[in-house]
Amino acid sequence: MSQTMIGPIIPEQQLLDSGHLACPGCAAPLAMEMVLKGLGKDTIVVLPACCWSIVAGPWPQSSLRVPLYHTAFETGAAVASGIRAALDQKGDTETHVLAWAGDGGTFDIGLQALSGAAERNENILYVCYDNEAYMNTGIQRSSATPWGAWTTTTPTDHPENHPKKDIMAILAAHRIPYAATASVAYPVDLLEKIERAKNTQGMRFLHILSPCPPGWKTGSEQTIELGRQAVQTKVFPLMEVEDGTRWRFTVDHPGDPVEPYIRAQGRFRHLTEEQIGAIQGEVDAKWEVLEKRVRHGT
Amino acid sequence: MSELDRGRPAPQVPTGSEPARGIPPVAISETSTRVNKTGSWKYIRPRYQDGVAPCNARCPVGIDIEGYMNLLREGRAWEAEDLLIRENPMPAITGRVCDRPCEEACNRAGLDGSVAIHAVERVLGDDILERSLPDRFEHWRSERMAVVGSGPAGLGCAYHLNRMGYHVTVFEAEPEAGGMLRVGIPEYRLPREILDRQIAWFVSQGIDIRCDQRLGEDLDWADLAEFDAVFLSTGAHKSRPSGMRGESGAGVRPGLEFLHEVNDGHLPILGRHVAVIGGGNTAMDCARTARRLGSEVTVVYRRTRAEMPAIAEEIEEAEREGVAFLFQAAPEEAVRTKGVLTALVCRRMEMGPPDESGRRRPVPVEDGEFRLEVSSVLTAIGERSDLTYLPSTIDVEWGTIPTGELGAVRGAGEGTGPEGAGISETGPTMVFAGGDVADQPRTVAHALGAGKRAALGIDRAVHVTRGLDVKDWDPEGYRFGPDGNVSITRWRGDDPVQRENPVNDVVPGDALNLNHFAPAPRQEDHHLPAREALTDFREANQGLSWDEARAEANRCFNCGVCNGCELCMIFCPDFAITRRADGRFSVDMDYCKGCGICAEECPRGAITMTREGL
Amino acid sequence: MKKVMIGNHAVSWGVSLSRAQVISAYPITPQTQIVEELSEMCADGRLDARFIKVESEHSAMAACIGAAATGVRTFTATSSQGLALMHEVLHWAAGSRLPIVMADINRAMAPGWNIWTDQNDTLSQRDTGWIQLYCETNQEVLDTTIQAFKLAETVNLPVMIILDAFFLSHTSEPVDIPDPEVVDAFLPPRVPAFQLDPDDPHAFGALVRPDAYMEMRWLQHEAMDQARTVMAEVTAEWAEATGRDWPAVESYRTEGADLVLVTSGTITSTARHVIDLRRDAGEKIGLVKVKMFRPFPSAALKSALKGIPRVAVLDRNISPGHGGIFAEEIRASLFDVPMDDRPMLFGYVLGLGGRDVTPTVIEEIIDQTRQAERVEREDLWVGVQP
Repeated sequence: MSQTMIGPIIPEQQLLDSGHLACPGCAAPLAMEMVLKGLGKDTIVVLPACCWSIVAGPWPQSSLRVPLYHTAFETGAAVASGIRAALDQKGDTETHVLAWAGDGGTFDIGLQALSGAAERNENILYVCYDNEAYMNTGIQRSSATPWGAWTTTTPTDHPENHPKKDIMAILAAHRIPYAATASVAYPVDLLEKIERAKNTQGMRFLHILSPCPPGWKTGSEQTIELGRQAVQTKVFPLMEVEDGTRWRFTVDHPGDPVEPYIRAQGRFRHLTEEQIGAIQGEVDAKWEVLEKRVRHGT
Repeated sequence: MSELDRGRPAPQVPTGSEPARGIPPVAISETSTRVNKTGSWKYIRPRYQDGVAPCNARCPVGIDIEGYMNLLREGRAWEAEDLLIRENPMPAITGRVCDRPCEEACNRAGLDGSVAIHAVERVLGDDILERSLPDRFEHWRSERMAVVGSGPAGLGCAYHLNRMGYHVTVFEAEPEAGGMLRVGIPEYRLPREILDRQIAWFVSQGIDIRCDQRLGEDLDWADLAEFDAVFLSTGAHKSRPSGMRGESGAGVRPGLEFLHEVNDGHLPILGRHVAVIGGGNTAMDCARTARRLGSEVTVVYRRTRAEMPAIAEEIEEAEREGVAFLFQAAPEEAVRTKGVLTALVCRRMEMGPPDESGRRRPVPVEDGEFRLEVSSVLTAIGERSDLTYLPSTIDVEWGTIPTGELGAVRGAGEGTGPEGAGISETGPTMVFAGGDVADQPRTVAHALGAGKRAALGIDRAVHVTRGLDVKDWDPEGYRFGPDGNVSITRWRGDDPVQRENPVNDVVPGDALNLNHFAPAPRQEDHHLPAREALTDFREANQGLSWDEARAEANRCFNCGVCNGCELCMIFCPDFAITRRADGRFSVDMDYCKGCGICAEECPRGAITMTREGL
Repeated sequence: MKKVMIGNHAVSWGVSLSRAQVISAYPITPQTQIVEELSEMCADGRLDARFIKVESEHSAMAACIGAAATGVRTFTATSSQGLALMHEVLHWAAGSRLPIVMADINRAMAPGWNIWTDQNDTLSQRDTGWIQLYCETNQEVLDTTIQAFKLAETVNLPVMIILDAFFLSHTSEPVDIPDPEVVDAFLPPRVPAFQLDPDDPHAFGALVRPDAYMEMRWLQHEAMDQARTVMAEVTAEWAEATGRDWPAVESYRTEGADLVLVTSGTITSTARHVIDLRRDAGEKIGLVKVKMFRPFPSAALKSALKGIPRVAVLDRNISPGHGGIFAEEIRASLFDVPMDDRPMLFGYVLGLGGRDVTPTVIEEIIDQTRQAERVEREDLWVGVQP
């Protein structure tokens, strides 16, 4: 096959409505729709504070056709745990509980609750859609912001000077049954991971890179392309890990140079050749670590 | 909920506004976000706009290649064949002998090889010929048309005129129809069986083919007066002399004549070593035919391999079959000993400065003379037409008949009626010409394309004669791309492929999003091993199987034309795109925010973003 | 069935009899025994509940919120710092109108570290929208726990049951455990007013604009108002079933009193002892016990205190910069009582950080209140040497 016709593979059921309030070109609604397509309508979504709190629509609206619980910033995994427990107590083991948090709610303020739920091996699916900063509050850095990036709290004179937190390693260290990365640019891969997550009991974690046109300073039409480049450059490898030990890459990563990916984004506009070289070095080094994990496990 | 609503009404403290009613105790949703018409945010909007694939635009025949590839990909082979033969009456033949400019234009060429269009066409063409013969077309028009010459131009013109409902009579000088296809192209490239079936297919549709009717000998110009129009497609069957010393004499003969003889079933004796002069398809045909007759063959060509006009695959095949090439060499003298050809004196050439056409001309190298031991020389440096049958009123320039785009010939008396009319008082009312006899590239594809255009020209002339409106005949309205050949389907307006906001721009490679295509190497034709191929004249190129042809159709990018791949729908973050019942897509402008992802991700450049309000 | 048990276990028994379905808690002294007992009850099958052993009080409340929003009966327990950590989600629970029941063991706030009782932890959560019920005895604790679920689920507001650290939480008393049938009849399974349900999908808690937010708060406030009435109904129903009545405001030997003490929590029992001694000695003295702090029983207090010349409010809490919190609120409630009937109100701050409030201390307060010519200041600190 040359162009795989993925249409027939994508479930038809639509669980996210138009008229949602995401910015033009936002990847987050796509991510939600793809995940919900995979999970189906018997899903309860827990939504701690994040861009999606807006995307979901103000009262009395909801952009979702599944139940949705808005909750406090750091509580995604805990509220989801409570819902799961309640469903189980009611004898409903079929309904999926989906905690849906941004990178701030996952990497930063929600990490404690996430770690708790992961350690308890709660039977929930936790999805972090990662746009690499606090976008809803106006582009402030988070611990998911990549090195070198401009945000409103990391001005170009002093851009982000810490590497992005390795959330997958953190989750893997909890030895949860299933953790994976995914991208809206790879819908089939994403849906396959949802399918695997659906068929796994216990804590499941999915980390979806979610390009953000206003926060990354990119054209709204570039979202999918950037998602794809992030994978192809190995900046955001697509992988999965079972029981925290068995790592696997799920697509080919040609290892394109990072420069075009970096240059395409206004948030990196201030970087010099050398700095981009440093990013490349970091990506290469991280890749080596990942390859070791894939080969030897952790 | 209801028990929550009970209780005292809110205290009626003056607020300056009416207190809201029916507000629930918690923020519980009651409606969808569809109440937000977020489409108002956009300043650009997507537009599905089918363009023209470069293969279609470059095809001299004017075939909707992209269209039939898509139908075949969808498993609709019969519809693919129907779309194909609307424009090209002989795909089994072009699939074998066309020089494939389409594949050169193919946007996939730079990735992992162009789509093997010729091979797909051949599979479809063979399938058409394998089915039962078609019914006669009803000749519902009163006009009768004559076609002189039954090569691809003539048969092409006859085919289209026949389908338009005209009576068509084809006059062929040779005992059998086919023109150059029969006398010039060797059987190992175009099996007689295929050609015969193709001719039978034309006859079955109601085309009257009369052989042994050479114009000027068996048939007079005046005999054509009974027809309303004539299409001259008598081809170019005379070899050009090479100009070397000793050309006329034993052992040196025109390649075409040689091929004709072989094609007539004779096996001329060439001797041990044959030199073929020239670098075109005729030269390759001569060389490979000579190999099959048992000779060692050397092709002598003035320029380098890169400049050879022959189809690349033909050159490769010739090499595989053991043909030697001598590049940058020109023959100067045929040397005979006791009247028997023994050697060819040649001179080394080098590339000189570019001439006015920008092409560098070969110039002789001083002291570059050398000898080649030969027993025969076949010249294949070009052909010309025999136009002695023409009345003097028709213009002839550089040995060809100049025509208008729709084939109308020019000459004295022109301008008193429709194009092509009034030229010949003694012959037919209207005269058209095309193919090798006209001033155009001498390929089967160009001949077929000219035949099609002339059929349209003749039809137009008939309409002018009858005082009918002919504005729809302007070729600009139904070309493939700004410079492509005309499409009968577009002209008729009965395109079975639904077009969305069609535009006539050719889709360049950079309009595509190649990320959505996985590498898929081109399926190469299956060739007989040279050892086997050289034993006789069986078809050397076995083409592709059905499955391979379908795989090639899958490789087609469908440049510029939506093929319903759904990526726009899948990637729309606003779920504003829906698939219509007809398989195409609609954008709900109430919700499209104009992000442009659909246009960016469309693998085939079939969506463009346009400014709001324009 | 009577059983000697500590206050913490009285909570556990109450929760168990109430058939809570999801329990989520994090350990903190002196609450821990509640959830220890509940974990055992869950583990050995006495209670069919899921116990989520979360990693913080914040998550404990968050998990309860999730579970309650899914329609089940939920419980958690905490104390002091743990309650303070929950602060944000206490608002969430109340604003979501979720009938979560929580026991809080009143423990002083750090720093310095202090594990003994005072009421500042719960009173700091005064405005989160939770009903607050302060208990005096272990029997009251058990009974109130069961009542709390009924109250919460009737008005769709969360309820906090509050016990003094150690004086109640760790003190053993004989407790009459009601028959499960009695409790089941009193407290049928929860029927949620709304819940997360894939067959009837709604979003809860989305952005609410100024044009509706205030109405939602009004309705929440309105429910608090209802809770006063419902509390009376619930306690009456319980009294009928068990013979035990735990009213929101209790007047004790106040007939013809010229001085009344106002107390909450275990100080009440000590005060009862002193009142009994003084009444028996002929002194016109009584006691008003405030059990319900939110919603504030203003009307009941007004009618209980109206016309009594002197009122001493004993506050085991302090609002720094103002005074004892019960005293402040009672003072405010009495402000619209006509001058002639309005008591002189003495607000005593005492017993912070678990300092003992002995009968002697109370006697001194009574004497001081009788002797005072006027109210010198709003906050009268007891036993503190400047």
